[in-house]
Amino acid sequence: MASDGARKQFWKRGSSKVPGSIQHVYGAQHPPFDPLVHGTLLTATPKVPTTPVKATRASTFQEFESSTSDAWDAGEDDDELLAMAAESLNTAVVMETAHRVLRNHSQRQGRPRPPGAPEPSAEPSADPSAAPGGDLRLVKSVSESHASCPEGIVSDAAPLQRSQSLPHAATVALGGAPEPSALSTSALSEREASRLDKFKHLLAGPNTDLEELRKLSWSGIPKPVRAITWKLLSGYLPANVDRRPATLQRKQKEYFAFIDHYYDSRNDEVHQDTYRQIHIDIPRMSPEALILQPKVTEIFERILFIWAIRHPASGYVQGINDLVTPFFVVFICEYIDDEDADSADISRVPEDVLRNVEADTYWCMSRLLDGIQDNYTFAQPGIQMKVKMLEELVSRIDEQVHRHLGQHEVRYLQFTFRWMNNLLTRELPLRCTVRLWDTYQSEPEGFANFHLYVCAAFLVRWRKEILEERDFQELLLFLQNLPTAHWGDEDASLLLAEAYASSSPSRTPPITTRSEASALQWASRAGQCPCCWLQAPAGEERPCWSRSPRRGTGHGQAW
Amino acid sequence: MGNRAEEDYNFVFKVVLIGESGVGKTNLLSRFTRNEFSHDSRTTIGVEFSTRTVMLGTAAIKAQIWDTAGLERYRAITSAYYRGAVGALLVFDLTKHQTYAVVERWLKELYDHAEATIVVMLVGNKSDLSQSREVPTEEARMFAENNGLLFLETSALDSTNVELAFETVLKEIFAKVSKQRQNNARTNAVTLGSGPAGQELGPGEKRACCISL
Repeated sequence: MASDGARKQFWKRGSSKVPGSIQHVYGAQHPPFDPLVHGTLLTATPKVPTTPVKATRASTFQEFESSTSDAWDAGEDDDELLAMAAESLNTAVVMETAHRVLRNHSQRQGRPRPPGAPEPSAEPSADPSAAPGGDLRLVKSVSESHASCPEGIVSDAAPLQRSQSLPHAATVALGGAPEPSALSTSALSEREASRLDKFKHLLAGPNTDLEELRKLSWSGIPKPVRAITWKLLSGYLPANVDRRPATLQRKQKEYFAFIDHYYDSRNDEVHQDTYRQIHIDIPRMSPEALILQPKVTEIFERILFIWAIRHPASGYVQGINDLVTPFFVVFICEYIDDEDADSADISRVPEDVLRNVEADTYWCMSRLLDGIQDNYTFAQPGIQMKVKMLEELVSRIDEQVHRHLGQHEVRYLQFTFRWMNNLLTRELPLRCTVRLWDTYQSEPEGFANFHLYVCAAFLVRWRKEILEERDFQELLLFLQNLPTAHWGDEDASLLLAEAYASSSPSRTPPITTRSEASALQWASRAGQCPCCWLQAPAGEERPCWSRSPRRGTGHGQAW
Repeated sequence: MGNRAEEDYNFVFKVVLIGESGVGKTNLLSRFTRNEFSHDSRTTIGVEFSTRTVMLGTAAIKAQIWDTAGLERYRAITSAYYRGAVGALLVFDLTKHQTYAVVERWLKELYDHAEATIVVMLVGNKSDLSQSREVPTEEARMFAENNGLLFLETSALDSTNVELAFETVLKEIFAKVSKQRQNNARTNAVTLGSGPAGQELGPGEKRACCISL
């Protein structure tokens, strides 16, 4: 983000070489692929956005307009991004939310937590932006009624299931914060209704206050407004209401221009390995009932293939496919009535709607990946660094768990690689991932930074089971197959609250403050290597992993 | 949580499963450790872990099996797991020649990171799909022989040879270990060949990775 100012200048200069929405990606080892350099980016007929656009030759005004129009869009995006970077979440609000959730949970669990937290207050929150934590039991009953998954309720003591089979049985209920109609008590209903109203009011415009929207979204987004809120938070939709339809239309057109231009090359020698991998991976995703519908499979193949060849620094890496699902499911849920997106019959969705969902999914996924692309470049330096940071974090939050793992020779990389590579999508049911992403998208660098705190909270969540286990193999088996199949909104909210608590300066001052952007930047500023925390020699600013990305663990000597 | 009945064992052998993406490594493992097969088992991310204890004569052998992802991008992560392995199953899909064509590269990868004395079996999986076979049995067998590898064709789907494959590898390792123990009767360390310093046998032979190469 540091170069935003410069980039903005570049955009405003109106260069004809506008590379669509490809942005410089932190950690990428190659410059972004520019279709204008590597071939002719098509121009599209501006008529009907839902029909496939054909390449038109010639330099018409339309062509010029279509190739440069998103310069303005990018400019505004930049304004929004700059605004996002400049403003930090209202710490007081989030802190209050986190404390409330923790408080209520500890009340229910009957265990003391957190130290220093004020006594639970009985009155319902006056602040609708706070978490639905006033009465967690009510929330739970609601989220369970949404979940409607009899098999999903699995006892903690049940035999471990492989995480692969985790979300199969559990229906995906994307309830999020529940809808007023589904509520069982008037108090809750009122609060949730007012929450939804607040969202609707914000979204109505004429200009959505993104800062306000993030504050509101942190503690969960109501299902009826989730799709549009995600599009706004990811920076895909402009804050200005009047500009939204045109932006959507243009981006959708642009995406299908990519398809027309590139998709036929999937069987070419250069791309066939990429396509083959995507092709064999998609049937191995979940939820099967959704993914295995031919139309959905094709949509996922197109999205992933186009993304891969437009991002050659990383290309397609397993795990990226799992990041498509939440967007697709949330966006398609706008158009289907089914409570569970798991078994939603996509063939009933009109073709043009499906096309729009596909394009929106592509762009939002792209934006997410822009922030974590170094997770997927050669030797996956982003993941190696994050695993190191997580280890450091856990050693501060729960030294006993950290030491226990060490004593039994369990290495963090052995079980947290997947947590980073798939952003916990393999460890949690889809409904929890969706809830997590409400918050990730409200955080300045949710997927890259706040995710670490969530991972740490997730690990510590199992401290009892971990400490009871005294064998390397059993520990690892447990950690690779955590019993979360029955998890719902409440568990996800609790995890987020715990994560917030541990990321807040008042609890662990040595780590960082979130308002200081990422922990990496913090480490760099402090002159420490973010992976080994060694002090850098004077004048040396680069962390050791960026020098020798092949050796995430061989840091010491690299300094 | 875990199976306490499996706690008693004399040896832990670390075995790795390697080979191209989609050849059936994860299903071979789940067939061996849990007698399960899934048509749509999820892709393996990085490395996943499973164990099973088998009896060889009077010795209880705990196979600690590391199922690695076939995807090339993970290679930097997964190759770290080859270290300390005493056995490997190099799996290809006998209905996809491309997965067999790269076996040599996998072998090199393995020998680059593991000890040269590691017991390796070449496994042609999906023998139930013989009508779409692309790799002749004899060709693979010849390759295995020329490279000093064990060889079997398996089907994780119908269980053919799965048990046999793992047990053959474990027996071979056990034979090497036993021989080594006789040779080194007076020493405490059990090694196959020249193991790296610092990997000594734990007390009671009960530590993970206690057998080093």
